[in-house]
Amino acid sequence: MEADLKTRSKPGQAAVWQARLIMLVMINIAQLWILAATVDAALARHYSVLLPLVVASGVCFLVTLSIIKWWRPTSRQKTSSGYVRGNDR
Amino acid sequence: MSSNLEARAIMTRNLSDESDVRAATAPFQAEFPYERDEEAQVTRREFCNFLGLTSAALFIGAAGFATKAALDAREAVSLSPEHIAGAETLALNSSLNFSYPTERDSAILIRTADGAYHAYGQKCTHLSCPVYYSRDHQRLECPCHEGAFDVATGDVLYGPPPRALDVIEVEVRDGQVWATGRNASEPKDGG
Repeated sequence: MEADLKTRSKPGQAAVWQARLIMLVMINIAQLWILAATVDAALARHYSVLLPLVVASGVCFLVTLSIIKWWRPTSRQKTSSGYVRGNDR
Repeated sequence: MSSNLEARAIMTRNLSDESDVRAATAPFQAEFPYERDEEAQVTRREFCNFLGLTSAALFIGAAGFATKAALDAREAVSLSPEHIAGAETLALNSSLNFSYPTERDSAILIRTADGAYHAYGQKCTHLSCPVYYSRDHQRLECPCHEGAFDVATGDVLYGPPPRALDVIEVEVRDGQVWATGRNASEPKDGG
């Protein structure tokens, strides 16, 4: 099984996965900051900034969704049975 | 028994931080009823999904908090005068906690050294920690992030709070102290 996994990994794919993970972590950190700013603004009665903060958090969530759902290594292609790599076909 | 011997053997030989990290933690891991090897196998896909769920939770949290704050701001609370029990006998340069206008709205009444009464909402305007009256410094202080408020006006003296404390209007009627209204201050920059 392990040997099979090793033969299937291609140069560059690990980098793509790492990039996806790093971007997701960075977005999570940004959202954490936005949540803290939202709490701060609500308690300070800065109501005018609440909506932009929530919208920003929503945009971050949509980007996260897009990274998870649609960003794939270019060597992977979608077929009726799921994603396959170029050398699997 | 054999695991104890094995653990003792591991402890007695020299271990390297890098190459023997599993062996070094083995005696302690044996105390816990889970398989470490299985536990360590989190796939990238699972981790990605976890980050996605975290993102969703943070978004929902921000949206929920903002919605609640906006609804609270619109909610009109009817304020009827309420007698503050025990205020008449309050010593000079001391404070008394009470609730106004509802049981959930904690407040603090201060009788200054000159005998005047001042009352404020007890929630710090920074992160809602309860403020207390510092007799030594004769000011209201927040213990969480070291903010301080003027005892006569409720204005911020120093620290992170962005606005003054909510002021509770007090009146002395026939020797009794009554709370008659509550005013929330605006942020310093008017935002």
